[in-house]
Amino acid sequence: MKKDNDYIIVTPAMSPSEIVSRVRALPGVCLTSTGMRDAGQSDYKNRLRYFDLATLAPHYNRMGLFSAECHGGARWHVGIMNRRESPFDEIRFLREKMPNVLLQTLVRETNLWGYRPYPKNVIEYVVQNVDIDVWRCFSFLNDARNMRAVAETVMKRGKLFQPAISFTQADWADNAYYLKVVREIVALCGGVDEIILAIKDMAGVGSPARIGSLVDAIKQAYPELVIQYHRHATDGLALPALLAAARSGAQILDVEEDSLTRFYGQPPILGVQAYLEESGVPVHLNRQAAETAVQEVREWINQYEWAESPFKGLDHNVLAHRMPGGAFPSSFEQAEKGGFLHLMPSILKVMSLYNQIIKYFDVTPGSQITWTTCCGIVNRYAKKSGEIGVKHLIDLLERFVVEKNQDFAALEVEEQNELLSLFANAPGDFKNLILGHYGKLPMGWPDEWVYKSAFGSEWKKAIGGRKEESPLDALPDEDLAEARKTLKEALGWEPNKEQFILYLMHPKDAVEYMQFREKFGQAPYVLPTNVWREGLKKYGDTVEFEINGKPFSIELVSIGEEHEGIIHVILRVNNKMRVYAVETPRVKTKKEEMATGPNEVGSPINGTVWRLGNPRRGSLKPGDIVHKGEEIANIEAMKMETAVLAPFDAQVVAIKVELNDIVKEGQLLFVLEPIEN
Amino acid sequence: MKQIKRILVANRGVPAVRVMHTCIDRKILTTAVYSTPDRLAQHVTMADSAVHIGEGPPTDSYLNMDHIIDAALQSGSDAIHPGWGFLAENHEFGQRVIDAGLTWIGPDPEVIRLMGDKIEAKEVVEKAGVPTIPGISQVDSVDDIIRWMREENIEYPIMVKASSGGGGKGMVKVERDEDLQQALAQVRSEALKSFGDDKVLVEKYIERGRHIEVQIVADYHGNVIHLCERECTIQRRNQKIIEEAPSPSLTPELREEICQSAVTLMKSIGYTSAGTVEFLFDSNTKKYYFLEVNTRLQVEHGITELITGLDIVGIMIDVAMGKKLPFKQSDIHPNRWAMEVRLNAEDPRTFSPSFGWLTRLTEPHGPAVRISSGVYEGAAIPSYYDSLIMLIMSTGADREDAIRVMDRSLSRNLRVEGVKTLAPLLLSIIRHPQFISGDFSTRFIEENLDDLVSTFLGEDDVDEALKVARYVAEISALGTQNWM
Repeated sequence: MKKDNDYIIVTPAMSPSEIVSRVRALPGVCLTSTGMRDAGQSDYKNRLRYFDLATLAPHYNRMGLFSAECHGGARWHVGIMNRRESPFDEIRFLREKMPNVLLQTLVRETNLWGYRPYPKNVIEYVVQNVDIDVWRCFSFLNDARNMRAVAETVMKRGKLFQPAISFTQADWADNAYYLKVVREIVALCGGVDEIILAIKDMAGVGSPARIGSLVDAIKQAYPELVIQYHRHATDGLALPALLAAARSGAQILDVEEDSLTRFYGQPPILGVQAYLEESGVPVHLNRQAAETAVQEVREWINQYEWAESPFKGLDHNVLAHRMPGGAFPSSFEQAEKGGFLHLMPSILKVMSLYNQIIKYFDVTPGSQITWTTCCGIVNRYAKKSGEIGVKHLIDLLERFVVEKNQDFAALEVEEQNELLSLFANAPGDFKNLILGHYGKLPMGWPDEWVYKSAFGSEWKKAIGGRKEESPLDALPDEDLAEARKTLKEALGWEPNKEQFILYLMHPKDAVEYMQFREKFGQAPYVLPTNVWREGLKKYGDTVEFEINGKPFSIELVSIGEEHEGIIHVILRVNNKMRVYAVETPRVKTKKEEMATGPNEVGSPINGTVWRLGNPRRGSLKPGDIVHKGEEIANIEAMKMETAVLAPFDAQVVAIKVELNDIVKEGQLLFVLEPIEN
Repeated sequence: MKQIKRILVANRGVPAVRVMHTCIDRKILTTAVYSTPDRLAQHVTMADSAVHIGEGPPTDSYLNMDHIIDAALQSGSDAIHPGWGFLAENHEFGQRVIDAGLTWIGPDPEVIRLMGDKIEAKEVVEKAGVPTIPGISQVDSVDDIIRWMREENIEYPIMVKASSGGGGKGMVKVERDEDLQQALAQVRSEALKSFGDDKVLVEKYIERGRHIEVQIVADYHGNVIHLCERECTIQRRNQKIIEEAPSPSLTPELREEICQSAVTLMKSIGYTSAGTVEFLFDSNTKKYYFLEVNTRLQVEHGITELITGLDIVGIMIDVAMGKKLPFKQSDIHPNRWAMEVRLNAEDPRTFSPSFGWLTRLTEPHGPAVRISSGVYEGAAIPSYYDSLIMLIMSTGADREDAIRVMDRSLSRNLRVEGVKTLAPLLLSIIRHPQFISGDFSTRFIEENLDDLVSTFLGEDDVDEALKVARYVAEISALGTQNWM
């Protein structure tokens, strides 16, 4: 019988070429589990918490996986915004719990884990400092030039670079087109021995025959190139498509735990293994470990029902609208929150027509551009003339795209005019896209009327300003020292390297996240999901956790009535009673004004204003003239007197405190108007 | 011999609690006085009886002599101990206590007055042959200064000061002859502007001075005995925060000399009760200069008690009753090292006071530790008074031992929640190589503040757990949040 260790084919200690040759030598296929990233992104809005996912790690460690995709994509951003988890902490914890497993991320070329192109020096700095073994990198434009900075940094570090081609099923996306992209990628990476090529079927649209043919074409051109097939299950044809890819020579397949499977993620690991083996393709997997992992998921997955998409069930029409699996739950959530869930079928329909007018791949950030543009247009028509308006819009687009084959001149003048206002309110990112700010569009620029529609009278200038070069070459480097200084000011403490990188990716959200963690520490990692989301409910409810192996216990004693916006909560923390005053949004906060401007004088300490003015001149009032260095107030605290001095010759504009007020450090005391001498 | 059956302790916080401890040992009843914000304070609850003496501001209460003397009479007290601070060095108060027919536990009010007058004190001290900082008070020209320096063999730097100055105004440090003229003119002009008086005096400037003081106890029978010295060089804003005994900067010969000087001085003024002679010590020249006499019990008396085994408060009571000191100078044999830190409720970075409630308090007990506290868990820290909440003292066979014990107390055993304390700064100081090697001056903190702040101890596991608890409290009260 095989021991657990016999299943380990690749480890983080191996060089990229060693990993590639190990996979090449396998008789059949091996697997990447997306359970820790894309599974959660596709069906649970990326809300699966580290606390729960960590239970899979010991099983992954003996499962014989090629890798665990546990990082990147939108998990990074949602992590700091919604789960309050750091992607750095997560890798560190996982390394400890599954040292055998290659950790894999997903990056969006120049957009890394964000939504806009970052300058080259930011990309290099970030990639250098994130501890990941397998770097899957895709371009939503299939613009290989945009991958250069990531590729070079990853390969220089001796990590495995995994360039991905974004796949869609469309007449223009044929084998010849993809072979051209693969050629560019292989040239970029200096051959096929230190990379693995991924085919990223992010919407789940590749029919078995189409995928079989594509893999076959690539393998014929590059027999030594190891291919990994990543596919979502949305169209319902994932299993046969995986088999077709494997038969044509793909050697690594992306799967997830069966119990995580819903509709838009990857196909189920146990089912894939059984189906491929039955079909004669050996699958490298410690099935017993995989079964325990599948079982483990059932212990906690029911806590995430709230995060699932309101749109349920497979959808073969994905072939038309091409919404990627990873965008399903969040798009529908937005529609639900925005009150336009009923418009979703129309939006999907408009998307299916839009993507024939402007051709790129529906994956981040392209999918967001498609989504915001189309849902904006549909909402505009719905607001103006309701269902009839939306129907009219779809009729118009169908007539133009299908009937007239996008021959703008063939439309009636009235119809032309309507199209010319179609993109008038399109989002800025849409405009940036057709101006080339993200890179070259895969099938070239859209027709002239699109520019007229988006830019109005400025359309000629817009076309003249289109960029052909990669943003990598176009964007100037960011001043990292300056950025670090800005962050330090926002935080009030010196950020460490990880905090700085979080900030470089998502400045606003990262600062909020770090302030949250400063206040609540390890709460996101040590609390079980029900407590994390809902707290303790009734007397005696207890949550236990460990810090450095030491047990801690928090028991609810009582939650008080709300009084003036404050709720008092009594907890027993390690047997000691503690009272917490929790502010509700209704709390009446006495907001002290703080001194911020150069003409504002704040209190140097916490204390009591026991004197305004000074003994020589007496009290002060607005309009008085004070001289630089003159004492204008005195603050007393614990017997120590601290003089407040006029910072310059000035006229007193306002005195913001009264005698005997208790003031905070920095609280505004005076507003002064400098006097020119 | 006077009998003392009940002592009114005219103080609050750490000193009040300290004095009461000895009273309890001696089976003497205690009366506490308190202001309104202190009505639930530790010294009030632990006393045998208590009298309310006014509102929060000290002038209404702890500085209000009438109220305090009334309280003593009303409570049947026969003596008053002033602790330190407030009225402890107020000769008028001492006299009024005596005039009211009560026993004043402290030195003679006339001695307090004498030593409180800087000019008179300096004359008395010089007469006793104790070195004072060399200087001249009659300065008309640069030549006067140069002549004085030559005659007295004074080297630069010197300090030119306005006679009537204070608070750092009208002071210029001079390093060489060429700058004298300019400095003198500047100080004169500033003095005239600020104080309306252009009189100037010049003193030798002691660079990198250290603060060394000698504890004296004396009775009404002519016995004046020193209990050795303490070093109190670590200060912030001219307030001591770490003290130790003995001083790490003295040789046995110097120690003997300084202590004898103090005894000579105190004998010459007829001192009684407990008091301290403070010196500035120039570690470069090994010279010491008289600073002032503290005519009262001092905050840091505890470390002297630790190295000598004596109870100084007890001695003060005995002396007040007219008893003879029960020991001779030759009986005093310090046999260990003791160190004290002042745990003030202050922001350790800015020294801005921090008030509120001590929601949680764990005192750092353990081997070789003495805690002198003025608070209890839950106590309020009002904004009106001194920020001292607790003295932590450690002992050891030598300095290294005492530092080790203090490190343990501050880094692992102490826990204060609700207000900020100096603890992180104190720990950084005792871990600083310069402190450990004994190489520091009164400017140590200002010179090393950034360095000290950068080594503040991080949060421990309990802090981490409490952050989690704070989260649980918030979510339990508020429910699932939108941002989730």
